[in-house]
Amino acid sequence: MDQIAQSANLAVEGTAEQLDVLERKIAGKYMGIVPWGAVIWGIGNCLVFVSLFPLVLFDVLPVWLAFPVATLNVMLSYLPSHEAQHNIIAGRGKPLRWLNELVGHVSTIPLVYPYRVLRATHMEHHAHCNHPELDPDFDVHARSSVDYFFNFLRNVQPGSARNGAYRRCLERLGQGHLMLDALIYEGVYLLVMFTMAWCGYAIEAALLWWLPKLIGQYHLLYYLSWAPHHPGEAQGRYQDTRAFKSRLGNIISAGMQYHIIHHLYPRIPLSLTPAAYRELKPILLRRGCDLGGL
Amino acid sequence: MQQLIKVFFSPMVFALGFLWPLSTQLVLETGLVANGWAWVVGVLVVLPFALMAQIRGSWIWIK
Repeated sequence: MDQIAQSANLAVEGTAEQLDVLERKIAGKYMGIVPWGAVIWGIGNCLVFVSLFPLVLFDVLPVWLAFPVATLNVMLSYLPSHEAQHNIIAGRGKPLRWLNELVGHVSTIPLVYPYRVLRATHMEHHAHCNHPELDPDFDVHARSSVDYFFNFLRNVQPGSARNGAYRRCLERLGQGHLMLDALIYEGVYLLVMFTMAWCGYAIEAALLWWLPKLIGQYHLLYYLSWAPHHPGEAQGRYQDTRAFKSRLGNIISAGMQYHIIHHLYPRIPLSLTPAAYRELKPILLRRGCDLGGL
Repeated sequence: MQQLIKVFFSPMVFALGFLWPLSTQLVLETGLVANGWAWVVGVLVVLPFALMAQIRGSWIWIK
């Protein structure tokens, strides 16, 4: 609480240097903490998702009940990997590094997104946020939520330019070989879908993976890419990301109301961004950040 | 090899591998069509979308 009062005072009276020091000091308090919740979440969520297939195929669980569970699994699958992409669970050379990489690889299986591709392209998103050519997530931007819906429909079409965005980004980085991961993930996904469909389980395949994956992608891109970077025009440390108040609350919006904290300090675990935001808010206001009434 | 990969990931293969049996099984669920005809109805439903996706690059026309 003292820190909040101090930051509020400094935000009004302090020099730019004092503000920098205080900002880093506050952020530092929230870094270097292993997010065990994200570890359990990432691996547990994937295990639940995978277990739905035998449960449905052996008639233990009705498919109408498995569908919302699978959808929830897909929607929840990205964020633990996101923690791993930023080395929040354990950095290079640390004893728990294997766990960081395990969570990164395993948690996005339901979304059919390969970890190494996500990590490389996501770092580019951070480095060039809202840059029309260099931000690989730039084409998610849309003028409104309604436009986002139509933009999403266009982006998931086979001929969409969005399909090649990550490949182009990786080739620019000299890491085009990582696209092999994407081919393997997508290939295995298609083989599972085709096999289930031709064995008489097409409806089950659609409700366990195909539709949940589409819904999960829509949710993920809306809350992680579109909403916190809207309108996607400004660049710069304090301008490229905003805070916003979600009508559906912080959990359904995947904790992204506080995404501005993540872009300023990517090593702060997701679960601690609300507390960090509250402490840093006066400084962010002084910086002229868009806090969206949060 | 590259050509094979392109074919495997093409909309037409997705339509034949997944959407055709899906639409057939949905038709069978309605109980209106017998088994053999359900496959014909299934392919008739899916084929226009598959051709549109393959040629135009969009399952739903809009790009």
